[in-house]
Amino acid sequence: MKSLLDIPAYKTVKIVNITGGKGSRRQLAQLGIGVGSTITIKRNAPFAGPLLIDNHGSSIAIGRGVAAKIMVEEV
Amino acid sequence: MKIALVGQPNSGKSTIFNSVAGYKSVTSNLAGTTVKFTRSRVRLNGNVYDLVDLPGTYSLSFSNEAEAEVSKYLLSEKFDLIINVIDASQLGRSLPLTLELLELNIPVLIALNMYDEAIRKGISIDVEKISRILGIRVQKTIASKNQGVRELFILAKEMIEKGQPSERPLIKCQRDVEEVIAEMESFIKENYSHPIAYPTRFMAIKLLEDDEFYRQQFFQQNGGVLSKKVEQLQRKLVELRGKPQDSIMLLERHSMAMEIYHETVQLGIPHKDWREKVDDFLMHRIGGYLVLLLVLLSLFYGVFQLGSFLEKILLNEFSSLEHILALYFKQNGLTFHILKSLIWGISGGIAIVLPYLLPFLIGLNVLEDIGYLPRVAFLMDAFMHKIGLHGTAIIPAVLGYGCNVPAVMATRILPSRRDKIIAAVIASMIPCSARSIVILGLVAFYLGPLWAFAVYVLNIFIIAISGKVLSHLLPEVTPGMILEIPSYRWPALRVIGLKTWFRIKEFLLYAWPLLIIGSLILGLMEFFELDRLINSVLFPLTSLLGLPAVIGTTLIFGVLRKELALIMLTQALGTTEILTVLTSLQVFTFTIFITFYIPCLATMAVLSRELGYKIMLNIVLFTLTLAIILSVIVNQAGHLFF
Repeated sequence: MKSLLDIPAYKTVKIVNITGGKGSRRQLAQLGIGVGSTITIKRNAPFAGPLLIDNHGSSIAIGRGVAAKIMVEEV
Repeated sequence: MKIALVGQPNSGKSTIFNSVAGYKSVTSNLAGTTVKFTRSRVRLNGNVYDLVDLPGTYSLSFSNEAEAEVSKYLLSEKFDLIINVIDASQLGRSLPLTLELLELNIPVLIALNMYDEAIRKGISIDVEKISRILGIRVQKTIASKNQGVRELFILAKEMIEKGQPSERPLIKCQRDVEEVIAEMESFIKENYSHPIAYPTRFMAIKLLEDDEFYRQQFFQQNGGVLSKKVEQLQRKLVELRGKPQDSIMLLERHSMAMEIYHETVQLGIPHKDWREKVDDFLMHRIGGYLVLLLVLLSLFYGVFQLGSFLEKILLNEFSSLEHILALYFKQNGLTFHILKSLIWGISGGIAIVLPYLLPFLIGLNVLEDIGYLPRVAFLMDAFMHKIGLHGTAIIPAVLGYGCNVPAVMATRILPSRRDKIIAAVIASMIPCSARSIVILGLVAFYLGPLWAFAVYVLNIFIIAISGKVLSHLLPEVTPGMILEIPSYRWPALRVIGLKTWFRIKEFLLYAWPLLIIGSLILGLMEFFELDRLINSVLFPLTSLLGLPAVIGTTLIFGVLRKELALIMLTQALGTTEILTVLTSLQVFTFTIFITFYIPCLATMAVLSRELGYKIMLNIVLFTLTLAIILSVIVNQAGHLFF
C-alpha cells in the first residue's frame, strides 16, 4: 500500500485507510477528509516540507508525519 | 435578544460583526483570528440585540480548546438565533457544521458570505434550493464590501420576532446510520426521563461520536449501562461503515453535506486565477524562502526608514518645547521637573513610539489580510519540526511580532497542551512591536539597521535553541500539521485602516497614559532622589551588564511595557542624544537585555490565564536568566566589534 508521501504532485488519489492517532483523524474528518475521500496533490516536495492537497477546492497543508499515515490508491 | 455568529474558521464572522457593531473584533485572512468572544449591543431598526462573535469552529466537538469553548458557550447560553456564517466558495465543507447547528433546536439563519469569491471560482449556488432542503432562510452577503449585511439583520429581526419556526424537515443520515441514531435516542429517552440539557438527538449523535466532553458529562451522571449501550452501537457503526469509529459521524455529516452541495451547486469554469500562480512562487521550496526573507526585510527596513525619519522631525519639535519651558521656569524647581516629565511622556508616545508602531502595524495587517501567514506556516513546517513543533505553531509566533498577548492566545489552535506550552514560550520571546520600537529606535537609529537585523537574527537563533531544549524536556510526539491554506484576498483599505486604528487605539488608550504616568513617576523620583535607591539595589545587575547605574529604574519600568524602557532611558539619561552618554556597546547590551528579559505584565497575565501561573513563573525566570546570560556574553564579546 502506498502512503500519501509516495504520490507525486498533480495526481489524484483515493484514501483507503488512515492509521495513526485519533486526533489527526478527527482533524482531517472535520475538513472532510477521510476513508473514501478523493483528493489531489498540489505540491509534494520530497525530503522537505509539508504536502499541499486540494479537497473540493480548499487547499490544506499536511505535515509529512501525518501524510505518512494516510494510505491511498491512485485513481 | 441574543444572536450568535457561528461559522467555520475564516468565514468572515468578525467582518459581519464589525460591519454592524463597529470595528471591535480583529479580522484577518487566517483561520483562528478570533480566540475570544466579542459581544456588542447593536441597534437594528429600532431594536437592540446582543450580538456575539464566536471563534471559528469546524464542528461542535471538543477536539481543540477553541472548539470546546464555542461548543460550551453555545450550549450553555440561551441564544434566540444563530447566524451561521458560511464561506460560499467552500459550501461543501461548511455545511457539516450547519447540520450540527440545526440539531440544537435554535433558529438558524445562514449568511452565505464571500459570495463574490464563489462567483470568481465559477461556483453558482441555488440559494432557494439550499433554503428549501435545510428548511431555513439563507442570505447572500459580501461582508468585506458591506453587501447584504443589512438584509441579513432584517431577516434576523424578522425571525426573532416570529419566534420559533414551524416544524422544519429533519435532515436524516443514510438509513442504516439513522437507525443507530434512533436506537440511541430512544434508549436515552427511555432510561433518562429527567430532562437533559441538550436536545436528545444531538446528545445521541455526540455520544456515538465518542466525544470526550459529552461522554464525561453524561456518563458521570448515568454510569455503566449507558456506556455499554454506546459501545455496542459504536461497534455496529464500525461494522456498517468499515471506517475508524472516531470519524464515522463526522464523515457521515460530510457525505450528507456533499449531497446537498451537489444538488445545489453548479460548477462553471473558474475565472483565470492569478492566485494559484502566485502560490507556485510564494510556496516554492526555494523561491518561497527568498520571498519570505525579502518580505520580512522590507517590512522592517521600511518601518525603520519611515520611523526614523518621523522620529527625527518630531523629537526636534519637542526639544524646542523643552527649551521654551526652560525660559519660564526655574531649572531645579519642582514645577519644571513635573512639566518636563510630562513632555517626555507625551513626546515619547508621539515622537518615539508612533512613528514606528504605525507603519509596522499597517504592514503586519496587510500581510495578515492578504493571507500570507498560513503560507509562512507551510514554508516553516520543516524548520519547526527541527525544534520539536510543526508548521501551525509558527502562526502564534508571527502574530507575536505584533503583540505577544494575542499570540499567546492564538496557541489555542494547537491541539496538544505540550505544543501549546512550547509555542507560548516561543511566542512570548518574539520581539513584539513594543520591543521592535526599542530595537529600531535605539539600535537601528544609533548603530545602524544592520545591527538591528542582528538582534532579530540572534532572537530567532535563541528561540530555536530554546524550542529544541523544551521539546527535549517535554518529549511527546506532536501530531503534525493539518492547516487550511485560504485563498489570497485583496486587502480592503477600509478594513486595514480600521484594524490599524483598532490596534493604535489600544496604544493610545492604555499604553500612552502609562508612558506619561511612568515619566511623571520617574521625574518625581529623580527630584526626590528616590531613583538612587532603586538604582543602587539594581547596581549588581547593571554593573554585571556593564551599564551605568542610572538606567536601573528603566529596567523596572520595562516590565510594565517594553517601550517604556526606551522612553525612560532617554529620561533617565536626560537626553535623546544617547551616544553622548552611552557607548555603542552599552546601547546594544541594553537592547538585548530588554528584548529577552521577562515578558511584559500583560503577557504574563495572559500566560498565567492560558497555561497556569506555575508555567508563567517558569517562563519569567527562564527569560530573566536567559537575558542576563546573553547580555553578559554580548557585553564581553562586544569589545571585538565596537
